[in-house]
Amino acid sequence: MAQTLTSTPVAEIAPRRNGRWRAQWSLFVESRMGPIGLAILIIVALVAICAPLIAPDGPFKLGATRLLAPGKEGHILGTDHLGRDMLAQIVYGARVSLVIGIVAATISLIVGMVVGSIAGYYGGIVDMVLSRITDMFLIIPAFFLIIIIVATLGSGIIYVMVVIGLTAWPASARLMRAQAMSLRERTFIHALRALGESNRKILFRHIIPNGIQPLIANASLDIASAILIESGLSFIGLGDPNKATWGRMIYDGRTTITTAWWVSVFPGIAIIITVLGFYLVGDGISYVLNPRNRKVRT
Amino acid sequence: MGRYISRQLASIIPTILLSIVINFMLLHAAPGDPARVLAGKDNPSEEQIAAIRAELGLDRSLPVQFFSYVRELLQGNMGQSLSFKQPVFDLIMSRMPATLLLTVTSAILALAIGTLLGVAAAQRAGTVKDAALSFGNYALFAMPGFWLGLILMVIFSSKLGWLPTAGMRTVRADYTGWRDVLDVMQHMILPVATLTLVQVPIYFRITRASVIQERQQDYMTTFRATGMPPTHTFRRYALRNALLPTITVFGLGFGFVFTGAALVEIVFAWPGIGRLTLDAVFRRDYPLLLGVYLILAIAVSIAVMLTDIVYALLDPRIRLR
Repeated sequence: MAQTLTSTPVAEIAPRRNGRWRAQWSLFVESRMGPIGLAILIIVALVAICAPLIAPDGPFKLGATRLLAPGKEGHILGTDHLGRDMLAQIVYGARVSLVIGIVAATISLIVGMVVGSIAGYYGGIVDMVLSRITDMFLIIPAFFLIIIIVATLGSGIIYVMVVIGLTAWPASARLMRAQAMSLRERTFIHALRALGESNRKILFRHIIPNGIQPLIANASLDIASAILIESGLSFIGLGDPNKATWGRMIYDGRTTITTAWWVSVFPGIAIIITVLGFYLVGDGISYVLNPRNRKVRT
Repeated sequence: MGRYISRQLASIIPTILLSIVINFMLLHAAPGDPARVLAGKDNPSEEQIAAIRAELGLDRSLPVQFFSYVRELLQGNMGQSLSFKQPVFDLIMSRMPATLLLTVTSAILALAIGTLLGVAAAQRAGTVKDAALSFGNYALFAMPGFWLGLILMVIFSSKLGWLPTAGMRTVRADYTGWRDVLDVMQHMILPVATLTLVQVPIYFRITRASVIQERQQDYMTTFRATGMPPTHTFRRYALRNALLPTITVFGLGFGFVFTGAALVEIVFAWPGIGRLTLDAVFRRDYPLLLGVYLILAIAVSIAVMLTDIVYALLDPRIRLR
């Protein structure tokens, strides 16, 4: 019963979804950076999905001449020191990078969302304790922590993703806290509380869904930084040895870089393009969310 | 101001404590028992292990162990390095100057360049030049530092031969005095350039956003309405206020530099903390890894605290709050 009573007024206050989406999309296009980023990401995602079509032999097929220059013997991007096709490795590497980025960012988003919303909604001593912990994690040199944990537990891709996710959450927590603090003073939340809705329900049904947007922009940056961190780990030999990752390719090409630059250069370009895509999309979303750019008040 | 500083000093204690707790937990998570890890030898004798065990109170409850661990740390005892057969603390401190040379130089250069570019872009906000600068910055920010380092190394030392490839000094040259300083500076150019380039976007973005925001403030409109020359009001008022946020970023950015520096040091075989970390990873030298982590955590906390104090010196609103 309480359910129907509470959900009606909220639904009436909320603007019509369709019109809001359209307005947001046009702002996203207006941001200029956003659409470019989205186009880049769609291409990268397509490449990752179609990897078996582009490189039917998989990333680890040996047998070609070693260190072939790009374009020679049908290897568009050349081969590495073991005679593996660079294009095939890069195409399959896109899968690994995207999965690592998305899983790590999702973990950090969830942790940040929960910590931040609880801190902002409850306030007082809860907020003080959680905010201090957040600040501490913000300062800690995460990369070195990740190095130790991966060196201790092993460099399976799962560990790498989880550890990156668990060290990246403070930024989302801060954003969510600010959102929750402002939302909790809104009339509809007061109304819900007056109607006797439980705090947990208010948090998860109303505060989080209404305040999550800035976190989405941040998640885009989190994906980008997770991809960069993973490449850094692979570069010092702590990546998953069973996966073709871009960082590992740069690492492999390091010793032969003066004679065969392509082994390190192409995976680096792949990282830059993908990470840039996520940054630009994040920029576009931030533009949409910035109230200064809003034309119609919602 | 004195009260503000003492409050700041007190506020980093929990952060440092947390780093110690994490370190303590990691020590217990590392394979083998902590005494064996801290003994730091491939085959420590049973007496040595027993001695460390007694020192740390490993046979007692975890809280007791924790306090013994903190006591040892306060005396600068972080255990023995497995691979270097030296006390971890001394080892890290001997490598610290080389790393600070790279990080501090590049952070200051990046602050200067990034801020200038940020102001330039903000003054042209909305134009094609601004868009190009912003896009270029994103591209730079998307670059893994170690990759950029490799590329610069191939171009400027391998192909063109203008600069030394690796290390901090010319091997077997044994320069002294000014010749030595010059030699180190020559070796610094590429790693510092790499680190500067990857940090510029941090300062660019914050400065650009902050300057744009400041120019839209009401007081700027009032100045314009009173007929004050725009360049004067911009330089004297808007710019000064707009540059404040960059200082905060400088502190936090310091943690980022250490990370970037570690990887760039590896590329250029620079004898700093990064190289040390790599060696520690390869030899699974846990006492050394934990020591590096702890010292960096403390260094970054102090850097953040110092920037907060500088901020308060420049902005009275902060210290009065």
